[in-house]
Amino acid sequence: MANDRPDRLEALNSACCKDWSYDQDVCLTCAMCASACPVAGVDDYDPRKMVRMVSLGMVDQVVQSRWPWICTMCGKCEQVCPMGIDIADITRRIRSLRQGRQIPGILYKGLAAALETGNNLSLPKEDFIFILEDVAEEVAGEPGFEGFSVPIDKKGARLLTTVHNKLVNTHTEDLKPWWKIFHAAGEDWTVASDNWEGTSWGYFTGNDEAIKIMAGRIVENMRRLEVDTLLWPE
Amino acid sequence: MNIDHKHVAVIGAGVTGLTAADALAGWGVHVSLFEKTPFLGGHAIQLNCKATDACVKCGACVVEDKLHRATRHPTVEIHTGAQIETVTGQRPYQIAYRTHSPLVNADRCNGCGICFQKCPVPGAILQGHAPRVGPYVAIRRELCRYFDNAACTLCRDACPQVAIGLSSEAQAGVIRADAIFVATGFTTFNPSGKPYGYGRFRNVITSLDAERLLREHAVMKRPSDGRPAGRIAFIQCVGSRDAQLGHPWCSKICCGSSMRMARLIQSRQKDAQITFFYIDVQTFGKDFQPFYLNARENIAMIRAIPGDILRTETDELEVIYFDPETHASKESVFDIVVLSVGLLPSGDNGPMARILDWTPDESGFLHPHGSDRHPAPAGIYTAGAVTGPMTIAESVSSAEKAVFEMIRYLSRS
Repeated sequence: MANDRPDRLEALNSACCKDWSYDQDVCLTCAMCASACPVAGVDDYDPRKMVRMVSLGMVDQVVQSRWPWICTMCGKCEQVCPMGIDIADITRRIRSLRQGRQIPGILYKGLAAALETGNNLSLPKEDFIFILEDVAEEVAGEPGFEGFSVPIDKKGARLLTTVHNKLVNTHTEDLKPWWKIFHAAGEDWTVASDNWEGTSWGYFTGNDEAIKIMAGRIVENMRRLEVDTLLWPE
Repeated sequence: MNIDHKHVAVIGAGVTGLTAADALAGWGVHVSLFEKTPFLGGHAIQLNCKATDACVKCGACVVEDKLHRATRHPTVEIHTGAQIETVTGQRPYQIAYRTHSPLVNADRCNGCGICFQKCPVPGAILQGHAPRVGPYVAIRRELCRYFDNAACTLCRDACPQVAIGLSSEAQAGVIRADAIFVATGFTTFNPSGKPYGYGRFRNVITSLDAERLLREHAVMKRPSDGRPAGRIAFIQCVGSRDAQLGHPWCSKICCGSSMRMARLIQSRQKDAQITFFYIDVQTFGKDFQPFYLNARENIAMIRAIPGDILRTETDELEVIYFDPETHASKESVFDIVVLSVGLLPSGDNGPMARILDWTPDESGFLHPHGSDRHPAPAGIYTAGAVTGPMTIAESVSSAEKAVFEMIRYLSRS
């Protein structure tokens, strides 16, 4: 915790989050969330503590803490919670209460770059296309995939897929299994050369406006390329 | 009191229905006792006496006693394998039912078990729980090969008592009853949807499975390989206090019964290490606290509900939970994990309420007798776990109270 000073009971304002549309008050502290959480125990994090702090109105303290940012937003806590508390949504709400530079550096930079250039790496379009075509050539060299090419900006394809930024950065090998499956299945698919990133940096930073912008760009790609079906493997 | 020649239908032959049948017959009332399954005694007859060096007041012995008492009255007429079809009229009610005559003659069967050995279909022959009273062996038509294509008669041919007859027809019947006693009990939560591998990992069992295991072997043996289980975990509140699933209530009996079971196991297997994962222990009744304090000294109590169970390569169970001592994720390995499953309203409650022209409460249980806001139709009485989770002792007293009210009603009408 950022603040180790004990809080006085009479200083708590439990009414301050009553308008939040989550069920934080019904927590039984059964620990199923903590037991299922992949990062529970890191920095003494326990989802129950965060839920209880929101319930008690200790919002400033929880916003200042590192806990909401340790969370990977996997949502397992929420899935197992017997009382149906929207724990991951609460986390997102708390994240949204930090603005600008108060957001942890890597997320802040990622969000700014994604909004400005369409992807968090600020990867220029021609570099993106070069990487995809380079990997496609390698695939085409493998037996059974002769003649394979990557259909970029193919109008009227059946399926548009987004790309995770690491697949055009450090993990280009991981593009291949997807593509091979498409090829073997005879799928009519495509990738957009602009705004190809699937990762929602708005979701990670609790920035609803950014979520809207990034999702809107994907929808715009679908309109432009006249594709009905989206594969969004995030 | 004018209760001569009165006739009551008791629906459900668990501990509540048996108590009611016995008490009503004791007043001289003629009783028709209807039971859906082939056996008498309901859930309670499947439970073990939990006494270790002294009685721990679990109530399991009461059921067998009630069973003996109810079946000995000549005025209690028992219909097993029965389904209530319609209830019409009032004072008296006309109750139409359907029943299959049993394939095993209970008077002839001596419970030798040869039919189990001969039967090629697992689960097609069921064994009851009270060998000395009423039906003990039953054949399930839906699984039996004879009823598929008349191909197999192995059990019938082998039975030394000539107790098995593989032909029976559904029979319809109608009785007239001055009042109806509804004691159809509860059902238990099926935990296959929880992240504990129930149904996939053979050594993950429910509390009811554990009762059956203990009746069969006296000690806890792993279902997968029959080895005695030295490390046993209990996970409480599985399917209780669960708003997601629509059952937010505490099932009331599980803390007590699981802890008694844990102590019973330890009294038979001195080296058994038992871990109890819980939210908070519900210690109902004035006698529970001393028992609980004693149990705590011998059981590892962990205040956390696990999030996952994995099966190791050596077929042990790895339970993953948030350890409240170290504030970190922890894995512990067990031989058997017992899921203390919640008590839920039976799926029969809806149809039963409709037949009686009544409505279940919001939870799906039926309203208890005497409910002001949702009074039952005249002459309809409910008692026991059909009205909500309760212990054996509470079921018995609730049955006796409802019978008392019913006798007053019958003497007036």
